[in-house]
Amino acid sequence: MVAFTVDQMRSLMDTVTNVRNMSVIAHVDHGKSTLTDSLVQRAGIISAAKAGEARFTDTRKDEQERGITIKSTAISLYSEMSEEDVKDIKQKTEGRAFLINLIDSPGHVDFSSEVTAALRVTDGALVVVDTIEGVCVQTETVLRQALGERIKPVVCINKVDRALLELQVSKEDLYQTFARTVESVNVIISTYADEVLGDVQVYPQRGTVAFGSGLHGWAFTIRQFANRYGKKFGVDKTKMMDRLWGDSFFNPKTKKWSSKDTDADGKPLERAFNMFVLDPIFRLFSAVMNFKKEEIPVLLEKLEIQLKGDEKDLEGKALLKVVMRKFLPAADALLEMIIMHLPSPVTAQEYRAEQLYEGPHDDPSCIAIKNCDPKADLMLYVSKMVPTSDKGRFYAFGRVFAGTVKSGQKVRIQGPNFVPGKKEDLFIKAIQRVVLMMGRFVEPIDDCPAGNIIGLVGIDQFLLKTGTLTTSETAYNMKVMKFSVSPVVQVAVEVKNANDLPKLVEGLKRLSKSDPCVLTYMSESGEHIVAGTGELHLEICLQDLENDHAGIPLKISPPVVAYRETVEGESSQTALSKSPNKHNRIYLKAEPIDEEVSLAIEGGKINPRDDFKARARVMADEFGWDVTDARKIWCFGPDGNGPNLVVDQTKAVQYLNEIKDSVVAAFQWATKEGPIFGEQMRSVRVNILDVTLHADAIHRGGGQIIPTMRRATYAGFLLAEPKIQEPVFLVEIQCPEQAVGGIYSVLNKKRGQVVSEEQRPGTPLFTVKAYLPVNESFGFTGELRQATGGQAFPQMVFDHWATLGTDPLDPTTKAGEIVAASRKRRGMKEEVPGWQEYYDKL
Amino acid sequence: MSAELETTEPLVAPSLSTAQNEETFAFQKYAGSEHDRSSYLGPEYLNFDLNELVGKYYSVDKLVSYFEQNPKYTKITLQFPDSLVQDSSIVTKLLQQRLDNSVIVDTTVNQELNSESGDHNDKMTIRKFWVLADTAYSSCCVDEVASEHVNSQIVVHFGDSCLNSIQKLPVVYSFGNPYFELEKVVDNFLETYPDTNEKICIMADTPHTQHIMELYNVLKTKHYKNLLVAGINSDLANENVTLLDQSPSEVSLKKVLTLGNRVLLADDESIAFEDSSELQQDYHLFHITMPQDPRLLYLSTIFQSMSICDPQDGSVSQGPFPSLMKRYKYMHVARTAGCIGILVNTLSLRNTNETINKISQLIKNNGKKHYLFVVGKPNVAKLANFEPVDIWCVLGCGQSGIIIDQYNEFYKPIITPYELTMALSPEVTWTGKWIVDFKEALKDVEDELEESEVNVHSGDNQAAEGESNAPEFDAVTGRYVSNSRPLRDVTHLEIESPSDKQENSRSGSNELVKKFAGSIIIKGTVSTSASHLQNRQWTGLGSDFKNNEDHDEDGAIIEEGISGVARGYQFDRDNSKKN
Repeated sequence: MVAFTVDQMRSLMDTVTNVRNMSVIAHVDHGKSTLTDSLVQRAGIISAAKAGEARFTDTRKDEQERGITIKSTAISLYSEMSEEDVKDIKQKTEGRAFLINLIDSPGHVDFSSEVTAALRVTDGALVVVDTIEGVCVQTETVLRQALGERIKPVVCINKVDRALLELQVSKEDLYQTFARTVESVNVIISTYADEVLGDVQVYPQRGTVAFGSGLHGWAFTIRQFANRYGKKFGVDKTKMMDRLWGDSFFNPKTKKWSSKDTDADGKPLERAFNMFVLDPIFRLFSAVMNFKKEEIPVLLEKLEIQLKGDEKDLEGKALLKVVMRKFLPAADALLEMIIMHLPSPVTAQEYRAEQLYEGPHDDPSCIAIKNCDPKADLMLYVSKMVPTSDKGRFYAFGRVFAGTVKSGQKVRIQGPNFVPGKKEDLFIKAIQRVVLMMGRFVEPIDDCPAGNIIGLVGIDQFLLKTGTLTTSETAYNMKVMKFSVSPVVQVAVEVKNANDLPKLVEGLKRLSKSDPCVLTYMSESGEHIVAGTGELHLEICLQDLENDHAGIPLKISPPVVAYRETVEGESSQTALSKSPNKHNRIYLKAEPIDEEVSLAIEGGKINPRDDFKARARVMADEFGWDVTDARKIWCFGPDGNGPNLVVDQTKAVQYLNEIKDSVVAAFQWATKEGPIFGEQMRSVRVNILDVTLHADAIHRGGGQIIPTMRRATYAGFLLAEPKIQEPVFLVEIQCPEQAVGGIYSVLNKKRGQVVSEEQRPGTPLFTVKAYLPVNESFGFTGELRQATGGQAFPQMVFDHWATLGTDPLDPTTKAGEIVAASRKRRGMKEEVPGWQEYYDKL
Repeated sequence: MSAELETTEPLVAPSLSTAQNEETFAFQKYAGSEHDRSSYLGPEYLNFDLNELVGKYYSVDKLVSYFEQNPKYTKITLQFPDSLVQDSSIVTKLLQQRLDNSVIVDTTVNQELNSESGDHNDKMTIRKFWVLADTAYSSCCVDEVASEHVNSQIVVHFGDSCLNSIQKLPVVYSFGNPYFELEKVVDNFLETYPDTNEKICIMADTPHTQHIMELYNVLKTKHYKNLLVAGINSDLANENVTLLDQSPSEVSLKKVLTLGNRVLLADDESIAFEDSSELQQDYHLFHITMPQDPRLLYLSTIFQSMSICDPQDGSVSQGPFPSLMKRYKYMHVARTAGCIGILVNTLSLRNTNETINKISQLIKNNGKKHYLFVVGKPNVAKLANFEPVDIWCVLGCGQSGIIIDQYNEFYKPIITPYELTMALSPEVTWTGKWIVDFKEALKDVEDELEESEVNVHSGDNQAAEGESNAPEFDAVTGRYVSNSRPLRDVTHLEIESPSDKQENSRSGSNELVKKFAGSIIIKGTVSTSASHLQNRQWTGLGSDFKNNEDHDEDGAIIEEGISGVARGYQFDRDNSKKN
């Protein structure tokens, strides 16, 4: 039974102040989907009994089977708040009814791109942290991403039941655990928070932290207890909240609050949190789990919990579940926290607009986004594609940032390469249908105003993954999402039966659509490549490709790694190349770019689309570039946005600007396929020192300049201590102490470098962090399991590109081996051509 | 002036370097060359009489007797590949010596010709010889156009040849009779294929095919059982085509399969092939001399593996050969290419014009733009001049006229008409074959054309008015390409954003390219090169300064410059008057 109708929800969409768009993010297995279930159950979609087991948002079969979330799933919830609570909301609201658009995201690092796509369309995030495991690598990653997108976090500390039942901790220990977790979350927040957001750290005493158990379906915030006790003690609620957390103690004898943990006589006092919040929970647990039949009814009565007929017969865990759920229903606590502390679209778009929009900030589209104006021109960002039941078709899933989207409305669809005023990647098309995405189901609606999350039918064939929809002819694109993960693991796929080829190509297209991060392309030697973020990601993608998207048997090569080509020094001499007609010369030098700059380019901080003056300012102020150089960046490469640069350092060369386009084209070409083994270049800066050009335009055309610039780039590159870079994973392994030895031995074998090893306070668990070359990571999980008796399970996430120190041109070294093997595989001459090949004598 | 600069800092570029001295424009000196003929006349050729050797090499005797039998040919062109041009003078001399005194009596032909060429010799005509060197297209083909420049009646083609049929001129092929060290090659063969049961086909370029039977007979005595020999396809000879050196057609051998200009012969009666697909499974190729890239690729698609034997230094190479998978990639590039350059690299091959016409029609039906280029000896620089072209489709001789870009030197990929046909079919197809013969390719083109005609007329107009066609997925880059069919979106292109116009009027528009805006359609057809120009950063004079803050919109005031011709400008004259 659905407890609310689509009409009800639709009408709520208009009161944008009462909408909350939020995503649930966490490390894998910290219980996001389970916790989401308790919310969905409140919305009436799944029965209370099944909550905690059904995982409503895990819609795919393999998600249910593997017990992990793979795709993020959206669901809309309806909630009503009491008048009293509504008064405490600090932002503008109307009425008591609220609409919550919730997106449950995957926790496994390999699927981080799904999280990114979810974050883009939401304004707030519910960060779930496991009480026992604490803040893990993925918690940090997703939190960092959320803050980067200017998304406000609230925290739920989950799996408290495990601490009570399995670890049997004392109240004070549990408090300390909570406090530590909150502190480590706040450390991350303060590191990455955007100043625009203000103070977004979480505080239990302000009600931005909840504690609970998704599995048992209960949770609480300090605010709830403050409500209860506030009435009892006759103290103001906010004051009470402050007293219920931190170093605040209550002396039952004197009925006085104190900030010292001893009373006047030096006797220890109990912490208020332990006494008022944890005590009833602990007592309930011990009464139920120790089968103290007499105690239970007394307690229940005290806590105003009423059991129904057959519930009274329950015992042990089953009874505990029912009792706790009645005592502290998870949905109440979470919904209250979400509604009270997460921003509405109106509040959020105010500060997010300038970060979301590519164009100038005083442009009407940007202002419309800022105001979340439903009457302005439409601005809608499609963040991902969701497969429909109709094979090969997708819902475009996104958020309306301004205007109102209607069925049948004709819109401009702007792909990622669209530039205002140009026609590339611009389409005009009518939207067939607007739908509400509800987990497994969709509900058609007529229109949807700004601030809401929506699915669209009929535009999927125009956008591959993401894009901007607008009705304004002057609108720029919304900014493209940058992923924290990178598709560095690749396999080649091949059809078993040549007749299936069309299906494979179509399947690759669909696969590419269905996942925000996966890449499908063709290698230099003509193989179809599928690139994913890790082994698991690839496995799922290939499974989908084989069974779903293409539906044909495939031959799949063993995974290989994408490398990069880079330089470590400045060119030892000026590289000179002459054009085929010998009338034009290009003199240049290559040098490395600082890693920070490369990262900033890859992360979109230094963007080729930005105004060059603003960009030069940033590069000069933050990265120590010479302003003149920064202003004279001719292009980024490859693909016009990679971390390689051409800088014009020439002086007074005639006709120079005329050849700029040819130079840019050549640089794209050269950086896409480096000279060592045809991999992309990275962190290479090419300074054009001088150019000699023929006085007649016909003798300095593209035909003369493009091949010459490419040769010159190669010569400069090979003269500048060329090196290769390999991708490196950051591995986090949690395991008991006795397994640590096994981990070390496996890591040593695999060229791993241990970064840190810590014991998590209060638990026997060790956390080992290490860098592991992606190349060595294949089969790592299996070997680790073997070496540790199945006690260690690694989380691997792409961390950085590491330069191999050895000379890639010498086949006896490690780097040389990789290069030689790769060249052989691609059918290239085995020896890397020397710089002399590309250099012309004066 | 810059010489001084160069001596002080030889490698650092001078700061004002657009200065160019004499040297910049000097032609490269032609290094005097020693003609080394040892590669085909044998290492000790200097010890013998060169004229005699060369004459023997080119079977001048046979040639002479041919012309004696066919006295109607009086204007003869001798076509040499670049590597053999050094022999042209000797061959011409020999031919003239041996044929000069024989005078033609047949007057009927002469009168006709005389009136045309104005070569008056009354009733007697002496044979005239022209040497064709530096062939504009591929040297393996007969250069009909060049020989028609001299109204030639017959072409004698020397050296390795593709034997492709040409439009009308008669041809005599003299492959040459190269020096051949049988033992060396036999040793190589034994080393490469130690197993005598291996199924092997022996092939060579046309000159070396003369020696192939010797090799075959030796190998037979070494107990190789499953050998095939490739001989010249003598069916190609007809009244217009004469092969001076007949290939081995031993009676003992039976023809089992025809592969273009070769026939495969075997002595085993039981071997019979229906088509070449069986070769692909079982047979290895032992090829003497390195074939040209297109031929190499073709052969690699026919046989299971290849070993190339160099008869000179006796080395055997087994790769890397050009890969067909790379062609597959280029085929995909062509699927989403908006602008195709048809690169005509031959003029004499039969069916060239039909192929051009059919292909352009096919491209047009697919909504893509094409431009036609006729380029002799295409190279990287020539092709890179045409930046708007997304992919080249080369029409050329299958032996050497097709460019196979093995080291990624070319800016844009180059494909063949057959590959283009596959790329333009609505469904992705790949046969694994490499067809370069025009006749066969033309068949596919026609089939595809019919299909596309149907498509053009029936559907594809489903997209409602004012709506765009969906972009296409590019399997090479993994992205959507919106401009893969520029001719289909004519209506869409006319939508002009108003911001554009505003900007145009504001910036005074002294820019060349902006003027194209809105007029990508020139003369009723979409110009992809105009749209390419629009995307350029440099849009004409003055656009260089757009980004300078202190740029003055007004520019400088026009001053009067110098007038006159370089021999004496006005100021020169004034000066001289003063003096």
